[in-house]
Amino acid sequence: MPLRTSPWSLTLWLLAALLVLFVAGPLLRLLLQASPASLGAALSDPELVASIWLTILTATSATALSVGLGVPLAYLLARVPFPGRRIVAGIVELPVVVPHPVAGIALLLFLGRQSTIGRGLGAIGLEFVNQVPGIVAGMLFVSAPIVVSAAREAFHSVDPKLERVARTLGDTGWNAFRHVTLPLAGRGIVAGAVLAWARSVSEFGSIVILTYNPKVASILIYDRFTLFGLPAAVPAAVVLLLIALAVFGLVQLLAPDRAEQR
Amino acid sequence: MIRLEEVRVRLGSFVLEDVSLAVPAGGYGLIIGPTGSGKTTLLEAIAGHERLERGRIILRDENVTSASPEARRVGFVYQHYHLFPHLTVAENIGYGLRHAQAEARAERVAQLAESLGLLPLLPRSVRGLSGGEQQRTALARALAPRPTILLLDEPFAAVDPATRRALRRELRALHEREGVTTLQVTHDFEDALRLGDVVAVLADGRIAQSGTPDSVFRYPNSAFVAEFIGTGTVLRGTVERMQVPGPESEASGAERSDLAETRFAGRFRSNGLELEVVAEREGAAYAVIRPADLLISRAAMPAPAPRNRFDATVTRVERGSVVAQVHLDVGGTALVATVMTTTADELGLAPGIQLVAAIKATAIHLI
Repeated sequence: MPLRTSPWSLTLWLLAALLVLFVAGPLLRLLLQASPASLGAALSDPELVASIWLTILTATSATALSVGLGVPLAYLLARVPFPGRRIVAGIVELPVVVPHPVAGIALLLFLGRQSTIGRGLGAIGLEFVNQVPGIVAGMLFVSAPIVVSAAREAFHSVDPKLERVARTLGDTGWNAFRHVTLPLAGRGIVAGAVLAWARSVSEFGSIVILTYNPKVASILIYDRFTLFGLPAAVPAAVVLLLIALAVFGLVQLLAPDRAEQR
Repeated sequence: MIRLEEVRVRLGSFVLEDVSLAVPAGGYGLIIGPTGSGKTTLLEAIAGHERLERGRIILRDENVTSASPEARRVGFVYQHYHLFPHLTVAENIGYGLRHAQAEARAERVAQLAESLGLLPLLPRSVRGLSGGEQQRTALARALAPRPTILLLDEPFAAVDPATRRALRRELRALHEREGVTTLQVTHDFEDALRLGDVVAVLADGRIAQSGTPDSVFRYPNSAFVAEFIGTGTVLRGTVERMQVPGPESEASGAERSDLAETRFAGRFRSNGLELEVVAEREGAAYAVIRPADLLISRAAMPAPAPRNRFDATVTRVERGSVVAQVHLDVGGTALVATVMTTTADELGLAPGIQLVAAIKATAIHLI
């Protein structure tokens, strides 16, 4: 739609510009705050480097679990009518509305030593409190809805009759899914997984309750800010922001530009 | 061979009920019915995509009622083709041959592509193909694994009339060449008349009538079937026995010998129209008047003229390239006659022209 100069269009542009400035301004300010020297020092800081590697490792594990468990659930939600489907879909979306420290407390009660499940898992060597699996659990809790939602939307966009055609051409249900639905929905699922990974990297609220130590990057930045002030936190924050921006760029490459799709 | 025995399928609140149908091996069957009558559901049940609540499905003398879709070995072409958008035309056609040797697969793909005029398109993506090209690709894909049964869901619905005529010819030729038992869903009775050996009219999830296309067309068993397939004008009225079938009665001449003992000469009354008919029962009935059986003339009919003669006024003339439909008003009743377009021109048919219309008693089909 061509925009004409009118009070209405001027108001639109002004309001839109205000929000873009509000989002981009602080991030730009943060990037400009760090000097190349301080970034170099940050990257040679063993505690920060270890923390970033831990963040990448745990975020990748959480994303893999989100995809492994979330894609089948998304397929069922998108394709198979079953009793309580809307309730199940609602449950999976719940973490989006639960404050993250609340999620951390809930996970602590569910997976901690005081719960039957926590004791059972502890008996087989899977500890969550102040352990790496606790970080993964926190990340999984907040990122799984992103994968399920993206995968469900991706499956919705693939006509179920394509699988039916593949079945009449000799495919089993699994092969029809593998050769037809998955390649067509794959881009959407991968975009969801990348977003879930980014969400995991940025998670703080639930992890700080479950596993303060070992520290993931978000907790380390908070730790340095409270202990040593802004100058100590900025280089680490910039490194984490650059990682997030790289992932954002990847998502933009994978996901079709909806604003252009008319 | 395709045989359905008292098939019942439930899909939400819709029920396909008590469907029995047989298409002989190598035959061409058609299911015709209005939108929502359950045609596609029936095909999907045969293909194994919908579970049966009751009944049996026999394919090639084998009970496949509980078999998975991949075990039934049927080809299926959907109305909107459903080509795999991430594959090329060649990959689409060869999809069902992925387990065959590469050479055999390529040979079969090329053979089908050649017979359907798809050779230049083989390396192309299916995105951007025309409706006819998509249809041919879908047909080739379904035929590639050499199924002995082919199910077609309104295959001509999304193509222009010229492509439809061409595809109809190709489909019939392919059917004969490949020897595939075919069941096609359509809402166009023209398909049935031109292609089918067997036709079944589906209405509200039940088979209203089945038989050869000609018999269903000529002798519809209900007003619904007659109106849906366009046999002719359907009039609602009553039949009463003619008290004294006079020696000069039309039905008492040469046609009389054709009458079965249960049939009698009767009079059908509908609004202001009275027709001599050959009936099997008295009382409420529908009379079907086929356009081709209604004779029209601008002068008095030459002898021996049918006894059913009326003054008619032309209300509309629809000229086709070969035949013309002449819409008539006969004392307030609308009838349609078919004549050659050249005849319509010679008679100078136009709205308002007065005519004599006539029909033989034996040509009126009573339901």
